[in-house]
Amino acid sequence: MSRVVEVPASFDDRSFEQFAASFSAGPIADRMVFDARPAQWASPFGLVGMLTAGQAIREAGGPRPDFTVPAADEVRRYWARTGFFQHAAELFDLHGKVPRLKPDEQSDVLLDVTPVRASEDVHAVVGKIQAGAARILTHELGIDVKATMGFAMALSEACQNIVEHAGTGGWAAVHAYTFRRRLGRRVVVIAVSDAGVGFRRSLEVTQARRFGDRWGDGAALEAAVIQNVSRFRDPGRGQGIAGIKRYLGRWNGKLSIRSGTARIAIVPEWDDDVPMTEHLAAFPGAQLQIVIPAQESTGG
Amino acid sequence: MTQTIRVDQLLRETVQGPYCDLVTRATGRAVRTSIQQRLSSRPGSLALIDFSEVGLVDFSCADEVIAKLLLDPLTETIIVLQGLREEQLEAIEHVLEHHDLAALVHDAASGVARMVGRVSPDLRTAFFTLQRTGPATVQTLAEQIGWAAERAEAALLALVRLRLARTGSEGFVVPLAPEPLSP
Repeated sequence: MSRVVEVPASFDDRSFEQFAASFSAGPIADRMVFDARPAQWASPFGLVGMLTAGQAIREAGGPRPDFTVPAADEVRRYWARTGFFQHAAELFDLHGKVPRLKPDEQSDVLLDVTPVRASEDVHAVVGKIQAGAARILTHELGIDVKATMGFAMALSEACQNIVEHAGTGGWAAVHAYTFRRRLGRRVVVIAVSDAGVGFRRSLEVTQARRFGDRWGDGAALEAAVIQNVSRFRDPGRGQGIAGIKRYLGRWNGKLSIRSGTARIAIVPEWDDDVPMTEHLAAFPGAQLQIVIPAQESTGG
Repeated sequence: MTQTIRVDQLLRETVQGPYCDLVTRATGRAVRTSIQQRLSSRPGSLALIDFSEVGLVDFSCADEVIAKLLLDPLTETIIVLQGLREEQLEAIEHVLEHHDLAALVHDAASGVARMVGRVSPDLRTAFFTLQRTGPATVQTLAEQIGWAAERAEAALLALVRLRLARTGSEGFVVPLAPEPLSP
């Protein structure tokens, strides 16, 4: 008998917890059915999160899961345009009608779902993002054209975390949309996710002793994100996340990273997120999200 | 002897594909190794590292290329960065400050080198004085600025250690200095 993993109707970084709880409700060796039929919308975070779950099952040697595609045609078409189904087909047995659409370069999908496994993939991601990012950041978000470089740099550093630390591959996606509920403005969202070892295992050898009894997923995130610590002893390491924070500070952006059972966020004043959440449902690897809002004067 | 090293050419030799961005540590390591090989095969007093045709420079790659090149104890050549855009320079300055380093950047408008990164006021004063008045000994620099000789010596030796200046037959000298001003 299969276990059903529920895909939230509106799937973003917050409803991700519902998805993670459903995913981790039983052993990864279970035969699973990912039920996306009720889905009405998914952020890039949701899309790469689902692929990460599929990847984790495959890498753990679990049975190939089933995936029922959204019932709503416009949702299926949007997910197809993001490139989601193309990659999902490698990890899941898809059930339902899957539209065959190519990513639209003029759409709000700045970067379709893209696998990140090696340094060359980061080059490809950075190369793909720059033209679309300039269009959206300057015209829709009112951000200085020079900041496009900073945006691509933040994406590059986020993707490199996979290459340098995850021990396996992952996914990146970048979309622009209107963030009605929390902000009422246009945003660009970068989502990067992997099914790798996670921050705790990555930093355990060098940091666990320093934290003592406090050591866990939350402490590992604190070390990496707040203290800019890396697993490498090279003093030049740890600048990637520091650089992302610097960029976000300038443009009032938000950074959140979930790993294992904890989540940390650098929260701007427009959001009501909490800086640290622990004791969440376990989820493989690490999931990073960057949100850049339209600047106040543009209205978005 | 001065040599110019075009980073875009090294990047093309290093990365498979039509990319012009200096991103990832792996790419940075490969580009830095190529630069080091050029410097050791054609030793000279000054190398202009040219970024003119390079796109994005991210923090990790800036760390691998610039910071590690400046920290390399085997390289004595003075490094001057040129052709940098504002956003590229910002990433490089971030990395230099992280390492407590400074570098020289060729200013296309004035034609002279300027210092970026973490530079103390004394180093800045000593550098500008050498740039303005030409080569100087510890004694002449101390007299020009009105410092004690020990203070001038400490600043000049720090400039040499950071490869922002070198010693020559006429004393301490900074690269790409304009003709000294007439007294």
